[in-house]
Amino acid sequence: MNNKIKNFFTPAKILAIISIFCAALIAVSFFSDKLVSPLREAVSFVVIPLQRGVNGLGIGVVKSEEKRKTIEELQSYSSELEEKVASLEAQNEQLKKDNKELDDLKKLYDMDQSLADYPKVGATIIGISSQNWNESFIIDKGSQDGMEEDMNVISADGLVGIITEVHGNYSKVMTVVSDNSYVTAMDEATKDQCTVKGDISLFDKGKIRLERMKVDSKVKEGDRIVTSGISSKYLPGILIGYANEIKEDETGMSRSGYLVPAVDFDHLQNVLVITKKKQTTD
Amino acid sequence: MKRKLCELGIIILFYLLQVSLCRVIAIGGVAPNLMIVLPVLFGYFNGSKEGMYVGFCSGIMYDLFFTDLLGFTALMFTLIGFFSGMLSNRYEEGNFVIPILLTAGGVLFYEFFVFIGNFLLQNRLILPFFMTRVILPEIVYTVIAMLVLYKPLQLLNKVFDSRKRKVKDIDETIL
Repeated sequence: MNNKIKNFFTPAKILAIISIFCAALIAVSFFSDKLVSPLREAVSFVVIPLQRGVNGLGIGVVKSEEKRKTIEELQSYSSELEEKVASLEAQNEQLKKDNKELDDLKKLYDMDQSLADYPKVGATIIGISSQNWNESFIIDKGSQDGMEEDMNVISADGLVGIITEVHGNYSKVMTVVSDNSYVTAMDEATKDQCTVKGDISLFDKGKIRLERMKVDSKVKEGDRIVTSGISSKYLPGILIGYANEIKEDETGMSRSGYLVPAVDFDHLQNVLVITKKKQTTD
Repeated sequence: MKRKLCELGIIILFYLLQVSLCRVIAIGGVAPNLMIVLPVLFGYFNGSKEGMYVGFCSGIMYDLFFTDLLGFTALMFTLIGFFSGMLSNRYEEGNFVIPILLTAGGVLFYEFFVFIGNFLLQNRLILPFFMTRVILPEIVYTVIAMLVLYKPLQLLNKVFDSRKRKVKDIDETIL
């Protein structure tokens, strides 16, 4: 009996069965995530804790390189720092005063919702997409930690991306440099609207695209580009990067150029997730 | 059964290496595709059935965490495992030509379909760029990774095999 079954399942037949099964899976997951999510949860339950541990392995290699600074280097650095601290303390006093003034003014303009006021949660990157054209990564916080889809992800430097998938103990983040990313943005100084688009063919230059600026917009090279209030998913006022090589398009109807991201995506390790979403129901 | 579980363990280990170590050793943003090495080598060592099983499992792992369409990579990797299994009767210790060709062909096959799905269907005709900047470096890097991993995997395969050698011999005569 056993032999009979073995004879029936020739490799070609198994291939046909698996192919049909995969086709069914593709069809199902194309339309809904519900049927496959139990499988995903089960696998991630095993793999994510392991991944957290192993994460140290990969990123640890980079870190140990950094540790190799000599003592002398550090000593000279520390005396340098002491001087800096003294001057900064003085500066800080001045800033405190200025800040008080700024706060009052902000209240006047009803703009007190700056980036610093958003509630944030720290997360660690525990895996980076293995697809060479797609810059997305996995963070160690999931729905158990209150993560939700469309939450903005930032780092100390600026906008990193947005959460596209949330699972029990991990979430997937699509970065702004990813080929399928699209962000509505504006020039911080001139308030000219534009869009920021990831593009794989600019991969080597470390830039992404800055598009759809009006022909009369005054965006200059080096201008700070921030997320716009128009965007449906991104909170306003988060720095994305700096404008670069702005030119008029061939059609003469619009201007476009490049954007140098503010975040160093190659050495990203910890990110902050803003737990406030753009569309609040309250 | 034990063998299948051991292979599952290796797949998880490779996945962990892929997400952590590979980005550190990436050159110019291109990392080797370790997951594709598994169906190629296991298929080449043990035949189509084994190749398909490993391909399917590692493909599902890959899909769960990296692609939006569950089953796509699984299908591709199963096919790769099947084809490298067809060449398993030419398996010789120390012959690297066939595994190199299989790995290169596998990466090319997989990435080309990825290109069709993600770029061509969206009318982004950047094949020359994608070919030279993503696929070719990935092929070269993956082949190098495969050569490094060849011996350890062969050894592991022998360890798994020693218990079931006799049964497998009968299997092969039936096939």
